[in-house]
Amino acid sequence: MMTSYTKPLPIINDDNRQYWEYCKQHELRMQQCNDCGYIRFPPGIICPRCHSMAAGWVKLSGRGKIYSFVVYRVSYHPSYADDIPYVVAVIQLAEGPRMESDVTGIKVEDLKVDMPVEVYFDDVTDEVSLPKFKAVS
Amino acid sequence: MESLKDKAAIVGVGYTPQGKVPGRSSLSFHLEAAKNAISDAGLKIQDVDGLLVQPAMGDPSVTAALVAQYLGVRVRFLSVLDAFGASAGCQAQFAAMAVAHGLANYVVCTYGENARSGVSEYGTALNGGLEYGLFGPAACYAIAARRAMHEFGTGPETWKEIAVAQRRWANLNPRAAMYTRPMTYQDYYDARILVEPFRLLDICQISDSGRAFIVTTAERARDLKKRPVYIMGMGQDHPATNPQQATFLTGPTGAKLSGEQALKMAGITLKAIDACEIYDCFTYTVEVELMDYGFYGRGEGKDFLKAGRLGPGGDFPLNTSGGLLSEAYQMGFTPLTEAIVQLRGEAGDRQLGVPTGTREPEIILVSNNGGVMQTHSTLILRK
Repeated sequence: MMTSYTKPLPIINDDNRQYWEYCKQHELRMQQCNDCGYIRFPPGIICPRCHSMAAGWVKLSGRGKIYSFVVYRVSYHPSYADDIPYVVAVIQLAEGPRMESDVTGIKVEDLKVDMPVEVYFDDVTDEVSLPKFKAVS
Repeated sequence: MESLKDKAAIVGVGYTPQGKVPGRSSLSFHLEAAKNAISDAGLKIQDVDGLLVQPAMGDPSVTAALVAQYLGVRVRFLSVLDAFGASAGCQAQFAAMAVAHGLANYVVCTYGENARSGVSEYGTALNGGLEYGLFGPAACYAIAARRAMHEFGTGPETWKEIAVAQRRWANLNPRAAMYTRPMTYQDYYDARILVEPFRLLDICQISDSGRAFIVTTAERARDLKKRPVYIMGMGQDHPATNPQQATFLTGPTGAKLSGEQALKMAGITLKAIDACEIYDCFTYTVEVELMDYGFYGRGEGKDFLKAGRLGPGGDFPLNTSGGLLSEAYQMGFTPLTEAIVQLRGEAGDRQLGVPTGTREPEIILVSNNGGVMQTHSTLILRK
């Protein structure tokens, strides 16, 4: 059943594999610097603030708000043709970092900057779960 | 430290056929543009001893050594230089440093791409996000533009002024893709919305083409065929941050610091600028760059930017070739080469000064912007 998923999957590499492993367990975790406390994203070997290589994976609340968003009114990829119009948003997470994601379960006309959202996980294949967001009232 | 002000000049410009030009490699556009720039400067092939190449996004197979090989030049200063859309301005700066220090006499800077008819990477993700359907730079800039709508109330009513003004310039430029196609405000509003808030007419168009210019010392420049264009000031600022974490999507972009440095080197203020050739991958990009250069305050673009003053006959001439939006997308080479042509007085019907009822151009500001506002370079050029 999962083999029918035709959309592009994340490009998993040695830098981000752990992030996607946590997603598979339905946990939104990002690297937090052990020295200065900065939470960084996307994953990488050094802290861009203090250059420490010591980091742990902090569990995030999954709450945030929409920093900004784009509405696709035309399809740039055949696998998204049936989704038009769809949204890609940049989510401002409560703990500081931002990430791009989908916001679902709301009409695009009703979306607004600063709207509160929370994470859920979409198991798109047996191997990949995508953190996505839904509006909360 | 000795300033680089007025130490280097641009002495040759090379164009190629542009628009939809099928059946050609991106390498072929680098070569034809370089050949035309060398001829324009009145140089011989053997004079060329420096080469800086910006490869197209879609074709990293074009290396600096490959361009040198096919041009038949043996150089002593060679590199690929890729700061995305900011590259042309960076190439000019590295070339100026090289000639000022005697590392080369004549540095040819090239670009070429066949993304309209050949390989295009413009639909893919610049900074990740494919798994969420985030395809193409237009959508990334649309996210920035949406945030700016929220923060300082800009929007299509401001962006239409930029699009329409630049189209009026393109209508005077036979080389422009949109030479024969006027645009009204209604045309702008009627255009299809692709990646909201951007319409088709907020977005530049991909072009098969190449472009090149040549940098030499101010002394050598005076003995060549064409009137030299001197590099008065230069600056770079590359925020580089992944756009999701960026604090600069609504400014200050790299235009602010690179612009301040360039003005300081040139020893002038914005009042001395006669025209602006601003990197315009999207309409909003122009608004935020001009704001960051200091032409108006935060959110004041909607009052400042009016097609009447930006277009032919206006007091603030902007992107006089039609720019990336209405002439051709040649990365930073489009604004840079237009500034040279204008300062030489070779711009034909769109020539600044008497022909278009604008100020005689003595000094032009050139901006280059790349990635999702992750790179930026500024040049101040003069007659």
